[in-house]
Amino acid sequence: MSASIADENENTERLDDASKNEKMFTLKKWNAVAMWSWDVECDTCAICRVQVMDACLRCQAESKKDSYGKQDCVVVWGECNHSFHYCCMSLWVKQNNRCPLCQQEWSIQRMGK
Amino acid sequence: MITLSQRLKKQQDDRSAAVNRISIRDKLLIKESQEMSQLLPNNCSVFYENENDLSKFILTVKPTEGYWEGGTFKFAINVTEEYNMVPPTVKCLTRLWHPNITEVGEVCLSLLRQHSMDGLGWSPIRRLNDVVWGLHALFTDLLNFDDPLNIEASDMYRNSKEEFRMKVNEYVMLYAKE
Repeated sequence: MSASIADENENTERLDDASKNEKMFTLKKWNAVAMWSWDVECDTCAICRVQVMDACLRCQAESKKDSYGKQDCVVVWGECNHSFHYCCMSLWVKQNNRCPLCQQEWSIQRMGK
Repeated sequence: MITLSQRLKKQQDDRSAAVNRISIRDKLLIKESQEMSQLLPNNCSVFYENENDLSKFILTVKPTEGYWEGGTFKFAINVTEEYNMVPPTVKCLTRLWHPNITEVGEVCLSLLRQHSMDGLGWSPIRRLNDVVWGLHALFTDLLNFDDPLNIEASDMYRNSKEEFRMKVNEYVMLYAKE
């Protein structure tokens, strides 16, 4: 009786060894995927609906026409922390000096990329 | 010195600037027209006179409740080249008795005001969809007797709601039946 139990134990041990040697799956190759986004409150310009870090709709249309391109389309942040393309915002403040998103009086906090 | 070639170049630049402005509007319109037709209120429809020109269309509103129920009201919407720095222009083509729309079709809707200091006027973040829902709401939620364009209509409402209702019905029967 006790001998047969010992035999069984031996058998299962042998099985474990076998499964260690012949794994069902082997990882041969893997690809890592990383996601990123700009660290800003709103990453799309609400005026032209293009990402603020890309050139605005107007500059994109113009650089297609001029071969030298126009890549100085910068981002502007207001005191209200809303960001837009400088090009888009300068057109808008000509007629209404308010942030289109929060209607606060528009004043520039900083500019750049 | 002004030379012919400089003048020609300037003329070309001016023309290409105009073409650019139009294309900005058209680029915005491609997305906005699609969004507008997807989100259209149930009792509204849109008709383009020229399928290749997204900037001019007719909006039809058929109110299902309120004073103007049973009528069919058409608005001509024109999106100008300066869009979206300026709002579209809207004219009501159907004669009606309404405190915020005159009998010749001028429409008083806050979001269509270009220069507004109260924050309710036009802003480039607004889209065609907002304009359509705004016009649709002039027959319900945005109906406003306190800031009228047709003063006679709002005075009539204040004096006698029954008289107002009858005049609205009379106009619907005369001008707003399909």
